Amino acid sequence: MRSRSRVACGAPAAAARAAALALAVAVVPSASSAQDTALGQASALETAGTLREAAAAYREAVREGAVSSGVLGLERVYAELGWTDSLLPALDSLIRAHPHDETLRTVQLRSLQRAGREPEARAAWERWTRRDATDPMPYRQYARILLDAGRTAAADSVLRAAQGALGSGRQVALELAQLRATMGLWAASAQSWREALDAAPYLDQATIYALRPAPDSARAAIRRALAAPPVAPGARRALATLSLLWGDPAGGWAAIRDLPPTDSSAAVWVEFGDRAAESQAWLVARDAYVAALAHHQSPEIAARGAAAALAGGDAASALAIVERALERALERTGQGSEGGEGGELLTVHVRALSALGRPADAERVVRRAGALPPDASAVAERELALAWARAGDLPAARQALQRAGADPQDEAYGWLALYAGDLATARRLLRYTDEQSPEALAARALLVRTRVDSAPKVGEAFLLLARGDRRAAAGRFAEAATLIPDAAPALIATAARLQAEGGDLASAAAHWGAILERWPAAPEAAEADLAWARALRAAGDTAAATQRLEHLILTYPQSALVPQARRELDLARPSVGRPQH
Amino acid sequence: MTARSLRQARHSARFAAWLTAYMVALVAWPAALHAQHLLVPMDDAQTDHLKAYGVTYHTIKNGLPAEWLLNYRGGSFLLADEPDVRRRAQLAGVAFEPVNGGAMTRIRGEIAAGNMDAVPLEKAPRVAIYKPPQSPPWDDAVTIALEYAGIEYTTVWDEEVVRGDLSKYDWLHLHHEDFTGQLNKLYISYRDAPWFIQQRNENLALARKLGYADIPGLKKTVAEGIRQFVERGGFLFAMCGATETLELAIAGHDVDIAQPYADGSPMAPNADQRMDWNRAMAFQNAHVEPSPFINSMSDIDGHQVNVPGRRQPLGTFTLFGFSAKFDPVATMLVQDHRSVLPDFYGVTTSFTKGVLKPGVTVLAFEEGAPWVKYIHGDYGKGSWTYLGGHDPEDPQHNIGSAPTDLALHPNSPGYRLILNNVLFPAAKKKPLKT
Repeated sequence: MRSRSRVACGAPAAAARAAALALAVAVVPSASSAQDTALGQASALETAGTLREAAAAYREAVREGAVSSGVLGLERVYAELGWTDSLLPALDSLIRAHPHDETLRTVQLRSLQRAGREPEARAAWERWTRRDATDPMPYRQYARILLDAGRTAAADSVLRAAQGALGSGRQVALELAQLRATMGLWAASAQSWREALDAAPYLDQATIYALRPAPDSARAAIRRALAAPPVAPGARRALATLSLLWGDPAGGWAAIRDLPPTDSSAAVWVEFGDRAAESQAWLVARDAYVAALAHHQSPEIAARGAAAALAGGDAASALAIVERALERALERTGQGSEGGEGGELLTVHVRALSALGRPADAERVVRRAGALPPDASAVAERELALAWARAGDLPAARQALQRAGADPQDEAYGWLALYAGDLATARRLLRYTDEQSPEALAARALLVRTRVDSAPKVGEAFLLLARGDRRAAAGRFAEAATLIPDAAPALIATAARLQAEGGDLASAAAHWGAILERWPAAPEAAEADLAWARALRAAGDTAAATQRLEHLILTYPQSALVPQARRELDLARPSVGRPQH
Repeated sequence: MTARSLRQARHSARFAAWLTAYMVALVAWPAALHAQHLLVPMDDAQTDHLKAYGVTYHTIKNGLPAEWLLNYRGGSFLLADEPDVRRRAQLAGVAFEPVNGGAMTRIRGEIAAGNMDAVPLEKAPRVAIYKPPQSPPWDDAVTIALEYAGIEYTTVWDEEVVRGDLSKYDWLHLHHEDFTGQLNKLYISYRDAPWFIQQRNENLALARKLGYADIPGLKKTVAEGIRQFVERGGFLFAMCGATETLELAIAGHDVDIAQPYADGSPMAPNADQRMDWNRAMAFQNAHVEPSPFINSMSDIDGHQVNVPGRRQPLGTFTLFGFSAKFDPVATMLVQDHRSVLPDFYGVTTSFTKGVLKPGVTVLAFEEGAPWVKYIHGDYGKGSWTYLGGHDPEDPQHNIGSAPTDLALHPNSPGYRLILNNVLFPAAKKKPLKT
């Protein structure tokens, strides 16, 4: 009953509002300041949530001549108030007075659609198309409204009509692209997005949003459509990002690497490099930065490229990037690298030389750099110290730190102490390190597990690890286990992890087995089961992996790893369904 | 008595008391390790409600005793305390509590005194799922639930149904297949989509292989096979569009209710009048949607999700409570740790009250709405249960949506309704209608 009385009471009010709007059509716009005032008031009232007052103010704004903005405001406010029907008579009058106003016609279509008056919406659209058969706007706007309403088939018919009337789909490419993606016509959608991007490069995010859900089976066709010759930079850029999102960074780089070498391409490469680095596709990121550097040298980009190369384990290419950047700087400024190398580039230069086992060269680089800002100097000296440490020259490393004026409590001293086997100092200085590398985690895990204060063998193991000799490091960790019984399972677990990462599953399995057999109550025991299961599953031995996971769950029910083990057990288990077909 | 003899007597008494306590402890100790039963609670104490059904299923399958404690702590299970049962529960992350004789007596007393009952579960049902050969497992909530719980099933398709193979199974599940043969009217929106074209071609090829001119012809025969399966004593559980289209195909056995794009001929102009609802299981007097351009089959569905002008919003639905001792079947079907659940869309989301047959049991309804969500009934020697909607944990489900990962929803009350249906054919007690 309540809704009936509302309709009865609402009808005269709606008529009055419509009449007020219709009168507004005849009024000549007054000064723009008045429009601003009326619109401003309406907007403020709408923001404050006083919708009835806002509606009155918007009507006033329309009366004063701010037709499009006022009607858009009315559309919003009337929708909130449930008065959309009331807008329609007024829109008829306004459209008669302003037949070319696209906003009015679009609002009319939207309002009719929202009110469920679909035949009238279609009639209004047809009237709009009759005004100018070559205008794409009626098709575009109506198709968008239908797509938003999930009326795929109706949108399809509108866009087919557009292609007939306009001679091609180019002017409605965006809507066609959206429609085809909705219909699962991925290749056709990609083709339409390509056309839309040609005309409006800012649609790249819309393209990515629409095509990203494509299933694996459709992705090759999308790649072909976006990468087909001639090279379309917008489409290639979208494909690069899509490929990254689909977990194919190399494919992403392939999409944009042959863009013409221009400033805008260089910007695209840098942007892609940043995204690839975020995805930890380090060597792909490096390639993108290097391509950008070939067009435009920048110490900052060179530092990013070298850092990506280092993170990807390619110290030689990191060094090459830095040296090339320094050469270009010399050519450009006439200054040697000593004066021109900024903090970031210097740091990565030292790290690259350090990783290559060339601390003396790293030292020369730091000395040549001359005066640096204090922070940059300290970082460079610290890297230099670690370079000497990695080369096994701990006294030189200490000297470097002293030269840098490092705080005696600096964690770099902690690392040097660890490499020297001084676990007591390392324990004190590395306690609060926030470094999250596997090495740092292994060091912390070990230091809290043992009360031993001195263990040169452990120092050797971490030093070998820092030098990148993981195989020898694994051996040394295993040897150290016999000397430090209270941390033996932690040391063996570290050895096993390094061996598994190096592909030596047999040695790793022997170590995991030893942990489970000799130290079944150690916290590393459950971890060993899980790591072993993962390695077995990765090697395709699902049955053995299942056995290990079950062992973990049943033997260590209180372990924090049990939920993860259950999850992996589900993934390892074959389907329980069987087809009778 | 001297002080010495008094001390000796006290000493003897202390020794006797100690001996008694020792003997009691000796007897009680193994019991603590190995109780008679394991209670699998299904209230909020349960860590993985869905896998609890799998553990129970395997207990029955291995011939071990199991009971369903209806309305007791969310519909708990009482399983034999055997090493394999414990192991399976522990691996699955299913919480259980060992129960010895005294505690068992207390539980049985509580059950006897309240609206609860203990139903023995005897035989693991042979489960069949009707689905196309190439469909992915995540396309169907029941498959997802069975895979997650580890309950074995077999998939069947038209050829097996036409051949009469349904007699090999106790329990059959249907999901969103369209038994009117119109492929859920997806032709309207997806006629050019490669997956739709492939689906249609495969269905048509199979229809022709089995001697039918078109897909609607084949599906009518399949629907008839399913109707006979229930009539002869089978348990049918259907969700989503299968509920509505199965009934339409059964009632429209002798009427052309398919649109021209499905069978080349227009729908019979007087289809509504010619429908034989006496043959149907759940519905009567529904109106078949005559327009080929409206993505709706009939007015059975209350929500009409694919028809913009008719689409109804999602609300919540409430499970009815039943008398556990007098209506155990309905009680089993609504066992849950929640009684009000969020609704979820499907090709068919709900069932309009006005088209329900008089004997239908409503298991869940939406307050104040003209539709219900979950219904059950007997037909011949068997029974059927319909649950509207596609996926309880994906309320808006769209074509191409990411599959539901039940590891993220181990306590899903909506999925519990599905698994109730899988286990209830295992119950020994014959259903007694209130």
